[in-house]
Amino acid sequence: MREQVLLQSKIAQGDFSRGGETSSNLKEALRKLGIKLTISRRVTIVTYEMEMNIIIHSLGGQITVYISSEQIRVVAEDLGPGIADVERALQPGYSTADDYVRALGFGAGMGLNNIKHYSDHFTIETEEGKGTTFTAIINF
Amino acid sequence: MKKHSVLLKEELCEGCTNCVKNCPTKAIRVHNGKATIRDELCIDCAECIRICAYHAKHSLTASLDDVSGYKYPFALIPPSFYGQFRGVNPRRVRNALYALGFKEVFDVSLAAEALSRKTGEFLAANQGIYISSSCPVVVRLVKIMYPELTEYLLPLKAPTDAMAEKARKEAVARGIELEEVGTFLITPCPGKNTTTFDPLGIESSPIDKTLDVGQVYQAVRSVLAAEQKDLQEQNSPVPYLGLGWGQSGGEVKLLGEKLQSRSLSVSGIHRVKSLLDELSRDNIRGVRYLELSACEYGCVGGIFNVVNPFQARYDLRRLRAQGVEPIKQDYDSYNFALPAGFEPLQLGQLDSDLEKAMEKLGQLEREIAVLPGLDCAACGAPDCRTLAEDIVTGAASRSDCVFLLRKQMGELTERLSALFQELPPVMKKREKGL
Repeated sequence: MREQVLLQSKIAQGDFSRGGETSSNLKEALRKLGIKLTISRRVTIVTYEMEMNIIIHSLGGQITVYISSEQIRVVAEDLGPGIADVERALQPGYSTADDYVRALGFGAGMGLNNIKHYSDHFTIETEEGKGTTFTAIINF
Repeated sequence: MKKHSVLLKEELCEGCTNCVKNCPTKAIRVHNGKATIRDELCIDCAECIRICAYHAKHSLTASLDDVSGYKYPFALIPPSFYGQFRGVNPRRVRNALYALGFKEVFDVSLAAEALSRKTGEFLAANQGIYISSSCPVVVRLVKIMYPELTEYLLPLKAPTDAMAEKARKEAVARGIELEEVGTFLITPCPGKNTTTFDPLGIESSPIDKTLDVGQVYQAVRSVLAAEQKDLQEQNSPVPYLGLGWGQSGGEVKLLGEKLQSRSLSVSGIHRVKSLLDELSRDNIRGVRYLELSACEYGCVGGIFNVVNPFQARYDLRRLRAQGVEPIKQDYDSYNFALPAGFEPLQLGQLDSDLEKAMEKLGQLEREIAVLPGLDCAACGAPDCRTLAEDIVTGAASRSDCVFLLRKQMGELTERLSALFQELPPVMKKREKGL
């Protein structure tokens, strides 16, 4: 099957009340498609981390999930502000989250590591002032 | 084959959809004015029994009359049971069960104390987070709705099963034929009844029959009322600490301080679902153990109980306070190993072919867009999304939606009226004449 869009969802900055909605809908869709549980779990976690990233760190953005016979590709694009030091952002425990976000139980600095851990391929394209695109691929 | 313990009395069902909306697995639909339960989705949580104002949902367990059918009938008392007898010494409750014809009476709390110890050892030897597998409804919920979390279920037998197995084994060791033994579990919930014919993690259940708390309560009360002073005192110690298992939090309390501080106790099926949602997106961190009970407040909240869960919880807590330390017993006399393990179930696949499933998923999204999104349940499905699913899988049709039906009728009326104006030329003339 050629790659097609499985789900697309706009995510607003700071919208904690809807955090987890995209990944929950995705999990439900993957169940209906009969995707293997181990795969579906990894995709769900990766997507959840990405949607929380957009809510916490960006000015808003969207997540698009593509599916083909071989893989699932999760793409999170945001409208900025971009990551100044990608290498540092990838360090476990490093986070730019403020106290409010930390008080909510987020911003432990493990998000990107978690995405990396659960995906087969993970790339970050970022430009300061422009925005960031995360792409995670999970192979079947 | 018998599949469930939650049943429907069709003649009482008014078709109101209260149960449909409250079902945690969306297993109920109302068709032709009557509720129907989908076997593959029902986890016997009894939420529908709880909410039905017409008492159309019910559950059947064995009867106390069945006790005489065995030469050696054994009673298994769940920890929550003593919470039903405010101010009565647990020993007297046990004695009453002997008076009712049971040859031996076992406290499941004893096995619970042993299992707590075993759980502590298991958690010390294994990394990560585990979910208690003692509530059968929680285990079924995970298998059906959170199959990806099945590996988190603690791979140890429930105390009810371990206790029944031990009782049987010891009877056989004393030279009793297994066929002559009848193990009767007094149960606060239909969920435990289901495990007797559809066991979890084991091949066949060591529990022969269950008796609902309601009927045993009545019988015990009559014995207590007519009690003779010289009634033989049954002296084996009461596992007071194990009784704590009868309410949410009691299991964790027995794990020791260190593990207790790294555990969460959550009760009530809807709250349990919220927690599992978070766990499934890896958003529960640092926790080692989850004590989850489908009924609010744990087993004292089971639907078969007579005393309200608040009072029962209070009284059980007072009983537990009498315990100093776990009863000394041979922990190796229990076998908590689960030979079969917990199998995840993958349900709800639209098609076995990925491409066709994608097509149907698209169709589903289009149906959802057409439906009004009011989730009124008048169609007999719990919400618009589920109706859309039923439409795509052929189990329902668009006209089941009263709003769409109304809209269609409106459009039809307009077309009819337009057609009515389009009179043949001959009639037009005549109409003028009128």
